[in-house]
Amino acid sequence: MAETTATPPAASPSNPVAQTPVSAGPVSPSPVAGPPPAAAPPAPAAPINQVPFEPVVSAHFGKPNSHTIAYYEGHGGYDTARKFIGTPQAEIVQTVKDSGLRGRGGAGFPTGMKWGFLAKGTGKPSYLAVNGDESEPGTFKDRYILEFDPHQLIEGVIISSYAIDCHHAFIYLRGEFIVGYERLLGALNEAKAKGYVGQNIFGKGYDLKITIVRGAGAYICGEETGMLSSIEGGRGYPKVKPPFPAVSGVFGCPTIVNNVETICSVVHIMKNGPTWFRQWGTEKSPGFKLFCLSGDVNKPGLMEVPLATPLSKVIDHYGGGVKGKSVKAVIPGGSSSPLIKGDKVADITMDYECLAANKTMLGSGAITVLNETRDVVSAIYNLMRFYHHESCGQCTPCREGTGWLEKLMHRFHHGHGHKSDIPLIWEITRNMQGKTICVLADAAVMPMQSYLGMFPEEFEAKCQD
Amino acid sequence: MAEQKLLNLKVDGRDLQVPAGTSVIKACHDNGIDVPHYCYHENLSVAANCRICLVAIKGQPKLAVACGTPVAEGMEVTTRSKDVDDARKGVMEFLLINHPLDCPECDQAGECRLQNYSYTYGRDKGRFEEEKVVKSKATMGPHVKYWGSRCIVCTRCVRFTEEVSGTQELGVIYRGDRSEIAVFPGKQLDNPLSMNTVDVCPVGALVSADFLYQSRVWYLEAKESMCPDCSIGCNTRVDVDKKNVIKRIVPRKNDLVNKTWMCDEGRLSFPYVTKDRLQKPLVKGQGSTWSQAMTAAAETIRKGGRVAIGVSAWATSEAMEEAGRLAKATGARLFGYGAPARDDQVFPGFTISGDRNPNRSGLTKILSIADADASLAAMAAEGADTVVLVNNIPNAPVPPALQKVLDAAKAVVVLDFAESALTKAANVAVVLATLTHFESTGSYINGKGLSQSFSPVLDPTTAGRTAQEVLRDLSHALAPAHAKPADKALRA
Repeated sequence: MAETTATPPAASPSNPVAQTPVSAGPVSPSPVAGPPPAAAPPAPAAPINQVPFEPVVSAHFGKPNSHTIAYYEGHGGYDTARKFIGTPQAEIVQTVKDSGLRGRGGAGFPTGMKWGFLAKGTGKPSYLAVNGDESEPGTFKDRYILEFDPHQLIEGVIISSYAIDCHHAFIYLRGEFIVGYERLLGALNEAKAKGYVGQNIFGKGYDLKITIVRGAGAYICGEETGMLSSIEGGRGYPKVKPPFPAVSGVFGCPTIVNNVETICSVVHIMKNGPTWFRQWGTEKSPGFKLFCLSGDVNKPGLMEVPLATPLSKVIDHYGGGVKGKSVKAVIPGGSSSPLIKGDKVADITMDYECLAANKTMLGSGAITVLNETRDVVSAIYNLMRFYHHESCGQCTPCREGTGWLEKLMHRFHHGHGHKSDIPLIWEITRNMQGKTICVLADAAVMPMQSYLGMFPEEFEAKCQD
Repeated sequence: MAEQKLLNLKVDGRDLQVPAGTSVIKACHDNGIDVPHYCYHENLSVAANCRICLVAIKGQPKLAVACGTPVAEGMEVTTRSKDVDDARKGVMEFLLINHPLDCPECDQAGECRLQNYSYTYGRDKGRFEEEKVVKSKATMGPHVKYWGSRCIVCTRCVRFTEEVSGTQELGVIYRGDRSEIAVFPGKQLDNPLSMNTVDVCPVGALVSADFLYQSRVWYLEAKESMCPDCSIGCNTRVDVDKKNVIKRIVPRKNDLVNKTWMCDEGRLSFPYVTKDRLQKPLVKGQGSTWSQAMTAAAETIRKGGRVAIGVSAWATSEAMEEAGRLAKATGARLFGYGAPARDDQVFPGFTISGDRNPNRSGLTKILSIADADASLAAMAAEGADTVVLVNNIPNAPVPPALQKVLDAAKAVVVLDFAESALTKAANVAVVLATLTHFESTGSYINGKGLSQSFSPVLDPTTAGRTAQEVLRDLSHALAPAHAKPADKALRA
């Protein structure tokens, strides 16, 4: 399999256009800064997802004691790490590249390519920073991993750190994760006691230290550079790029930032090979992913399905169908992603290309279904409150714009809008979009534009004049 | 200097060459192209948070911040276009929605970047109909006050305390549009450089407690000067009102000397200009005319026996030259002295010199007094019948050795601008009223050997004359052979 098939147009650390990896926090929004431009709606010659799929990353979720090392090792745990530590690192990176794995945090940047950008020969140590801040509204997949399979994450960290020649990895956890933190800490201590983390791992002469860092409840600390600032002990302000983290990340050293789910996927890719991984999904969106289904469905919850699974199947089959009469709209990839209108649901497959072609995004995989009873204005008011509350306040357009939008939406929500506010809202969003250090402003603007653009009549109905 | 690689770029159609590593904004500013900015400061790290410096770079789909974008070879930058202007107008509008718009009572009015840029990028009418965020007002430290609602959270002040003073009293608290600058618990913004935060604040958020409500800035005339308070010789801008009164002193950029900073002590030292000033010369404690006083002084020196001339390290280089000439004319012995030294105060980005004299180097270079303190000690051991003292040190701290020299003398002639124990001692025959450096022309040689000249910023309010003139006339009176006719002609 040619390694280039899964990669977007040439990108380099100095090319800000091609590389905007972010994780569970705000997801990359604009077509230019976001994931590599997708091709036109995929028209695969061969039918996809023909191979039956059984959950991989989530295979042990909900099993008794699945978070313990005894259980994990009883199911083949740490065998993959044991096998690959000591093997040529470039081959591991190549395998991940070949798999076409894309970051599961939101931006969907190819993981192997990101690893390839790590600055070499700087004389500084390299770091792996695993993003477990998971704060995109609607997203709860990493939490499951932390609570039910923390050893899977630790094994992934061992393999990934080894691959990028890192001897100190950070796992950054959302501060509100209590059980997940306790279980990960317990798992880390178990792994240390077994000698899987620490000095001379598996007797192969490889040393790795893992530090768990807990956030203090800020969405922005899920933005990769905000997270790095927070790990450094500073205020969680995103950093100006360039330089990108792969060149100058945490403590000014080359750093790879990956999402928890991404790191877990690496374990299975290494175990089973890239060809196995590519049995599912599409050429550009290979593999499988955790989706978090919420909203007006009969069976909300977490699921792991191959990429390119039809959205209708996700809702009807896995989600037990819509609660209510019909689907009014779907938020396909976390609160930052633009809506999919109910009548378009049938056309959507859950992969990076199809969603991009429909002017939205896969994001973190948080699918929220809104039925016909839902008030779009109320929903966007709720979201604007969120983004206003979570804007770090660093850049003027986001700091002031999110507050302004919330106040406007507050008025609309209470039926005190003016018709003249609607063009103003459009202008505010344009003045925020693409004008800030990180993409939180874009993450706030995209749903605003999408809700207003798709349901203008509902906003007009809330006007006094 | 190592040869620096030059990069070519085009800004608004102009071809420029700048050293590699230069940011786009610096390349523009260095070449006279204006790019608006709030958070960018040439001597602070880049924060890129205000977003007003957005420019268009050919080949880049989004506008880029000029402060955070390093120049690349062949880059083509457009600093004004519809896109750029629209983005800046957007930023201006955002900055002002929660701003109190209290210019009429704001100290910054007249020198505020929000006002300045409003002319180009502002709207004539606000579109924000919601309730504004109101933030706190606080006293940050003894010299600095904070108006939170005016703050645009550019973090220049925070970066100053992190990078230049290194004292880290300031931080941002809260987030989003509730963000405020605050001092950390248990701290005060009381470092010796604290008032630089007022200078770097581009709006009226951080204001000087000393200058607060003292004057509207448009009534002030900005005059260039330098600070005499230590051997650094910070370049200053002295703001003087229409009544010939100094209202404030702020640093003036000089990359060789003080960059853009100065210490609080230097900026707040000016009140000595009006304190206990000698209005005219004194002969035996009684006011006199200049001609009487000069005659009396010349007589005192002529009949003085062993004469010594003490020159303080506050005297200008020109006064030192004349003191040397007078010594030569009269055969007097020269000694130097200065205000007492203390330890240097070293900060990561600035040093306040412990040598509290502006011109100790002048004593060495002009009068060959390598060590002023040693020369004073030698003088104290030897003694003199008559001492001519060129003081001009504000608040006249008298070193014990100098006191010994003066006490032992039969007669003393003092050149000074203010009354003090020095001018009131019983053996003081003549006091020749001089002017402060604010009222004089002259120059000082700083601790690094750099000679810097200055011009008067105030019209003299006394009948004093500069020490340089007084000493020259004494030379003329005492040794006509040495006098220069041209000088006399000039004075006539």
